[in-house]
Amino acid sequence: MTFEIIIALLAATVQSGTPILYATLGEIFTEKSGVLNLGVEGAMIIGALTAFIVARFTGNPVLGFLAAGLAGSLATAIHGVVCLGFQGNQVVSGLALTILGVGLANYIGTGYVGMSAPGFQPLAIPGLADIPVMGPIFFQHDPLVYVSYLIAPLLWLFFARTRFGLGLRAAGEYPAAAIAAGLNVAAYRWLGIMVGGFFMGLGGAYLSLAYTHLWTTNLTAGRGWIAVALVIFAFWRPGRAVFGAYLFGGIMALQLRLQASGTQLPSSILLMLPYVLTVLVLVLSSWRKGTSEQPGALGVNIEPVD
Amino acid sequence: MTASGPLIRLEGICKSFGTVLANRDVSLTIESGKVLALLGENGAGKSTIMSILAGQLQPDSGAIYLDGRQVILSSTEKAIKAGIGMVYQHFKLVSAMTVAENIFLGRGGIWLNWSRMHREVAALAEQYGMKVNPAAKIGDLSMGERQQVEILKLLHRRSSILIFDEPTAVLTPREADNLFDTMRLMTASGKGIVFISHKLEEVMAIADTVAILRRGEIVDTLAAADVHSPAELAERMVGREVLLQVERIPQEPRQIVLKVHELQDAVLSNVNLELRQGEILGLVGVAGNGQKQLVETICGLRRPAENTIRILGMEWRKFFRKADWERTLAYVPEDRQGLATCQGLTLLDNFLLTTRGGFVRGPWLMRHLAEAKALHLIEEFDIRPPDLAAFAWQLSGGNLQKMVLAREFYRKPRLIVAEQPTQGLDIAAAEDVWNLLLKAREASGILLVTGDLSEALALSDRIGVMYNGRIVDLFAVEDEEKVALIPQMMAGLSTTTDRHLATF
Repeated sequence: MTFEIIIALLAATVQSGTPILYATLGEIFTEKSGVLNLGVEGAMIIGALTAFIVARFTGNPVLGFLAAGLAGSLATAIHGVVCLGFQGNQVVSGLALTILGVGLANYIGTGYVGMSAPGFQPLAIPGLADIPVMGPIFFQHDPLVYVSYLIAPLLWLFFARTRFGLGLRAAGEYPAAAIAAGLNVAAYRWLGIMVGGFFMGLGGAYLSLAYTHLWTTNLTAGRGWIAVALVIFAFWRPGRAVFGAYLFGGIMALQLRLQASGTQLPSSILLMLPYVLTVLVLVLSSWRKGTSEQPGALGVNIEPVD
Repeated sequence: MTASGPLIRLEGICKSFGTVLANRDVSLTIESGKVLALLGENGAGKSTIMSILAGQLQPDSGAIYLDGRQVILSSTEKAIKAGIGMVYQHFKLVSAMTVAENIFLGRGGIWLNWSRMHREVAALAEQYGMKVNPAAKIGDLSMGERQQVEILKLLHRRSSILIFDEPTAVLTPREADNLFDTMRLMTASGKGIVFISHKLEEVMAIADTVAILRRGEIVDTLAAADVHSPAELAERMVGREVLLQVERIPQEPRQIVLKVHELQDAVLSNVNLELRQGEILGLVGVAGNGQKQLVETICGLRRPAENTIRILGMEWRKFFRKADWERTLAYVPEDRQGLATCQGLTLLDNFLLTTRGGFVRGPWLMRHLAEAKALHLIEEFDIRPPDLAAFAWQLSGGNLQKMVLAREFYRKPRLIVAEQPTQGLDIAAAEDVWNLLLKAREASGILLVTGDLSEALALSDRIGVMYNGRIVDLFAVEDEEKVALIPQMMAGLSTTTDRHLATF
């Protein structure tokens, strides 16, 4: 009995961790290029709404999912114009993107509150789903979860094994070296912003097409911010991001279960749990600052050569 | 092995920044299989000509010919494609990445094949006599090893011309020897090398041709074989003609304001000097022979051993513990845009940086008082624009320097340490600075550190020559015999046995 509860809780952990995982990997991609994007929350919620509307009007959740990625890129492109085009302050621009995105999505989405859209349904992977313990936890979910499994290894492959990954990391670590090597740093940073935004949009789409099939106000509920913190927790490594995202997913799932079980704890305290963990994670990971793997030029704009 | 011929030719290159002429009619030929040394003091225009070659700066006039055809190096990328590679003084390496990653940055196909990359790097390193682990992180390497990686980057790109910007500045003597061995291997394989330095022995050791830059112009180009002694190079490099006659009325030296006694550290060895109120002590020498360390120690930026420095009669520690804002020590640093002023602050705020002690009442800063004083000084020192709200970055080098002097002299210092006070200034501004220093001498003792011998001779009452962390000799400027020997002393040659070389 307790064993089954734990399995169910872990399966729910994967589900609630997935949108955070998409967003965290997106932010890692962007930050590796040297751009700090605090607009994750905004890009996510714009992706969530786009996915919902496209799926609702086309009836095709796959189209909605892809549209969400494009919408995420489009949203973060604003950040690119401000920071790469005009050398604007990256922190301010990112915050503005969050405020803009959340406000815009809530406004456009007002008419859809409580409505549903065709989303993704769980699809057990034949064979793998029958493995004891692992099967129910990892392989009885909707296809978007399976897609998310692929992204972290792909990002690792890109960073470590391709010429473009090397260039992107150099643009984020020490742009002067990249320029001396004849690379176009601005182009790499645009790539970082656009691809990162694509993943953030996908994370939003997971919320409106798989996690729920509904549109509600403030659907992302701060998950974008958790992703920003998780990037630091993960030391900018895709592999550790998976671990971190599921850690948060676990806390969120647990918090829901506790509420449902009718505990004496006030629900607002339980709702705080993920954010308390966020603060803890940031404190703990900045403890070992010396070994931090933060990209050397993160948040520093590249001055145009005169 | 003796493959030679012009690889690249510069003709009549001129470049100015605002009113400062950095390069005037510079013509150079870089030959395959040869080392060309560019010799000159700081601010002589070496870095400008180099940046032009690297495609970072565009000349105002003049032309560059590559294999006889004119080329326009409008970007770093174009320069790289033309086969020109630069080993920067500040390495352009990503310290979080490995040696191989840095070398392959921006090269190769889509996929990185680690074992092949490591093999290639190791083979290339061995070919040129270097020992580098391709998998090591740059951050874990010594400066010498990092420089080897920079060189390997260029060799891997098959650059045919390699420019070294003061490459030995960061190296230990042994590493420098290794570098020279590598350079010889590179010239033997037909590459052309430009070696920028102000270290005379090194230039003598490695160069085939020496071009000497002074105040933006090439004053001499000679075959290294024709140079008999580093002293010859030193003399040509610093020049001796007095550019402007400034009037120096001898003063009666009064009490001692600075006493350095057997000062010793990693760079300095056994430095002794005394400075009295009413005199200027000019400290000359080729840059990098300990002047910086000495100045920084006297001015409180480095801690000396106990009882080695006394300022205004007080032990160093005691002096800096209780140093008041006025009637003490004023420092006019070489880096006037970084150490002396804050670029983003207004003139008034910059004025208050060191003088605020005079404008406080309790916790309050009396800005209106400071404003009145500063306005008065701006007029007195003829600083342009005469506007207290102007930002430091809006001022030209000369005006900024005058503003620093105005501020420091307002504190009525009794000891002034002035470091390269006229570097990068035009003649008119330099003359102003000289006269200001001579005037300030009446009330204080001045330690003038300069790379410009004519400046030192025009202003100083006594001259000290630094070489290799030591003060080789200290003498009155009237001692003509010693003055004639300054180039030898600067080059580290014994002044007793080589006297017959003093042909000037």
